[in-house]
Amino acid sequence: MQKNKTLLYLILSIVSLALFIGIWYYFTAVLQIVSPKTLPSPVKVFTTFIDKFTNPNPDGATLLVHALSSLKITLTGYLTAIVIGVPLGIAMAWYPKVDLYVRPIFDLLKPIPGVAWVPLMIIMLGIGFASKVTVIFISAIVPVLLNSYSGIKQTRDVHIWVARTFGASDWQMLTRIAIPTSLPYVMTGIRVALGAAWTTIVAAELIASTEGLGFMIQQSRGIYRPDIIIVGMVTIGIIGSVLGLLLMLIESVLVKGRSKV
Amino acid sequence: MIDNTRRSRKHGARAAVISIFVFLLIWQAATTFTSLGILMPSPLISLSAFFKSFIVPIGPYPIFIHIYWSLVRVVPFYIVGAIAGIILGITMGWYKPVAAIFRPIFEILRPIPPIAWIPIAIVWFGIGEGSKWFLIFLAAFMNVTINSFAGARSTDPVLVGCSKMLGASDWQIFTTVVLPGSVPYIFAGLQVALSSSWATIVAAEMIRSSEGVGWIIISSQETNNSVNTLVGVVAIGIVGFILAVIMREVEAVLVKWTKRDI
Amino acid sequence: MDEARHMSKSIIVAQGISKTFTNKRGSTKVIENINLEVRENEFLCLVGPGQCGKTTAVNVLSGLEPASTGTVKINGKTITRPGPDRGFVFQSTALYPWLTVMGNVEYGPKVRGIKKSERREKAQYYINLVGLEGFEHSYPNQLSGGMQQRVGIARAYCNEPVVLFMDQPFGALDAQTRYLMQEEIIRIWETAKRTIVFVTNNIEEAIYLADRIVLLTNTPTQIKKEYKIDFPRPRDYTDPDFLALREEITNEMDKTL
Repeated sequence: MQKNKTLLYLILSIVSLALFIGIWYYFTAVLQIVSPKTLPSPVKVFTTFIDKFTNPNPDGATLLVHALSSLKITLTGYLTAIVIGVPLGIAMAWYPKVDLYVRPIFDLLKPIPGVAWVPLMIIMLGIGFASKVTVIFISAIVPVLLNSYSGIKQTRDVHIWVARTFGASDWQMLTRIAIPTSLPYVMTGIRVALGAAWTTIVAAELIASTEGLGFMIQQSRGIYRPDIIIVGMVTIGIIGSVLGLLLMLIESVLVKGRSKV
Repeated sequence: MIDNTRRSRKHGARAAVISIFVFLLIWQAATTFTSLGILMPSPLISLSAFFKSFIVPIGPYPIFIHIYWSLVRVVPFYIVGAIAGIILGITMGWYKPVAAIFRPIFEILRPIPPIAWIPIAIVWFGIGEGSKWFLIFLAAFMNVTINSFAGARSTDPVLVGCSKMLGASDWQIFTTVVLPGSVPYIFAGLQVALSSSWATIVAAEMIRSSEGVGWIIISSQETNNSVNTLVGVVAIGIVGFILAVIMREVEAVLVKWTKRDI
Repeated sequence: MDEARHMSKSIIVAQGISKTFTNKRGSTKVIENINLEVRENEFLCLVGPGQCGKTTAVNVLSGLEPASTGTVKINGKTITRPGPDRGFVFQSTALYPWLTVMGNVEYGPKVRGIKKSERREKAQYYINLVGLEGFEHSYPNQLSGGMQQRVGIARAYCNEPVVLFMDQPFGALDAQTRYLMQEEIIRIWETAKRTIVFVTNNIEEAIYLADRIVLLTNTPTQIKKEYKIDFPRPRDYTDPDFLALREEITNEMDKTL
C-alpha cells in the first residue's frame, strides 16, 4: 500500500512538471499568444542554452566564460571571508575582550545587504575585479563570523569543567572542545554565506560589469532576448545548487570524520 | 567565559560605544591624514550629510521620502507573498499529494535568487512599479514557502496521535497541530524573507527607478558623490535593522509559548 | 447498577494480536499473540524489561497503531484507529506547547464540538482534580515535569473516555516526584474511576498501583505471567508481602531476559 502511494506521488510529480512545460509550450509555440520577446518557448530556451556554449554573441562571451568569470570573483571573496571570518568569530567568542570590542562593528554591518556596497566600492576601487571581490567578501564574512561566534558560545559548561579537572589548558579546551562543538554552526554560516555571495555577485554584475552571468542577463534585457535571460537564470540556479551540494558533501565528510574519532 | 549577568551587559554596552567610537576615530584619522581621503569621505562629513539629508533633498526628495518610497514598494507585496508562501508551504508540508504536484516546479525555481529575476521582471512587467512588486512578492514567497514547508514537515507525530486520540478530525489536526507547530518556522522564514525583500528592492531601485534608497546610492555613484552613497548605505542599514527588530517584536508577542519562566 | 456484574464486565478484549514492523532491512516481530481481557474500572499494569514491545503493545491496544493480526475490542466494538472513547497519557507528555493548561485540557471536548461553557466547567473540574488549580493560564514549558504529566492526565480524563492508556507516564520523572505521582494517580483514579492500562518497567511502581500485573517477555513480546494484587490501598512499599512479591516478579522477569 505504501509502495503504491509512493509510485502515485511520483507519477503526480512527473505529470505536474510535464503540464507546466506543456502549458508553457502550448501558449508560446502553438497558440503564439505570448510574444517571443516576452516569453520564448521552452524549445527556444533549450536551443539557446546549447547554442550559448559556443556562441559568444550577442553579449561578447560564451556561457562558460560568463559563468567562470562570476565563479572566480565569488570564490575569491567567499574563501577569503571564510579564512578570515571563521578564526575571527571563534576568537571573538572565546576571548571576551575581542568580543566586546569587535562584535558591535559586525552588528552594525549585519543589516546592510551586500548589494548596497556596490556603488561605494565602484567609487573607491573602480568597476573591475577588486571592487566586486570586496563586496562579496563583506556580504559573506558577516554570516560566517556570526555563526562561528554562536557555535563557540554553544560549548557546554559541563564539558569545560570536565576538561579543567583533567588539567587541560585554555588552548586545549578551545581546540578539543569548543571548536568541535561549534562545527555544525560554522558549517551553517558557511552555507548561508555561499547563498549570500552568489546572490550578491549576480546583483553586482547586473549593476555594473562587463562580463559574468549577471551582466549577460542584464545585456539580454536591453536587446529583447528573454531566451538568454532565462538561460542565464537557469545557469545561476544550477551553479548555486551545485555549489550547495558540494558544500553538503564536504560537511558530511567532516562530520563523519568527527564521529569516527 | 560565558556569562549573561546584568553587569556584563552594561559592560558590553560601554564597550560597544567605545568600539564604535574608536572605529570612527580610525576612519576619521585615515581619511584626514592619508590619501584614503580622496576615495572615501570622513565619518564627520558623512554623518553631517546624513542628518542634513532629512532637510536638504537628495535628488527630488529628502531622505525620509526616499525611504518611504522603498517601503511602499516592499511592505504590501511582502505581505501578499508571505501569505501565499505560508499557504503553499504548509499544505505542501502536510498533504503529500500537494507536495507531489508543486514541489518539483518549486525546486526548479528555488535556487534562482530573487535578484536574478530583475531583468525578466522588467521584460514582463515594464520598468515601473509592476516589476518591483513582482520581485518583492517572489522574494517573500520563496523564503516563506521553504520555511513553512519545513515547519509542517517537522510536526511532532506524537502530538498528531494525541489529537486523533482526543477525537480531532483531519482538518482539526491541520488547524490545531500542524499550523501552530509551524509558527516558529514561519517566523524564521518571514525574517529571512524580509531581509531578502529589502536587498531585492535596493537592487531593483539601483537598476531602474527615479526614487528610493537604492536610487540614492546609484545616482550618487554616477556623479561620483561618495558622501551621498554612504548616506544611502547607512539609511539602508538602519531601515533593514528596524524592520528586523519589528519582526522580532511581532514574533515575541505572537509566540509567547516558547518563552520560559522557570 | 449491580456492582458485582459491573466489576466482571470486560471492557477490553484483545485476541491474538501481533505486530510486525517491516523496513528495507527486513521485518521484525515486536509483539506476538497477545490475548488479554481488562475488566471495567480495573487498574492493569503491563510490566516488561527495558526494550521490550511494551509501547507497541499499548499503542496497538489503544488503536494508535493497527495490529498486524488479531483484533482489539473495546466495549464490544472492534477498534482500528484512535478515538475519543480512549484516553492516552504519553511518556513524553505530548502537551500542545502553544496552548495553556486550560487549552490543553479542554482540547478534546473542543474538537468534539462541546460548547464553551460546558467544556470549561469540565476542564476546570479535572484541572482541580489533578491539583493544578491556579495554573490554568500557564504554558507547558513554564511547568515542571511532574506538573506537565498532571496536565496530560487531566487532558486524557477530560474527554471522559471508557479506558485510559498510560505509557510510562512517570518514566522521565525524578524518584521523589515519581512516588508523589504514584500516590496522586491512585487518588485521582479512586475519585474518578476508569479502566486504566498502565505501562511501566518499574516493578515496584506496578505493585503499588495495580489490581493486576501482566508480565511481558522480551521481543517478540508475549505474556509471561499474571499476578493479581489484593493488598489494600494505600499500599506500603516496605510491607513484607509487598517486598516478597517484588522479589518474585523480579526473579521471573530476569528469567525472561
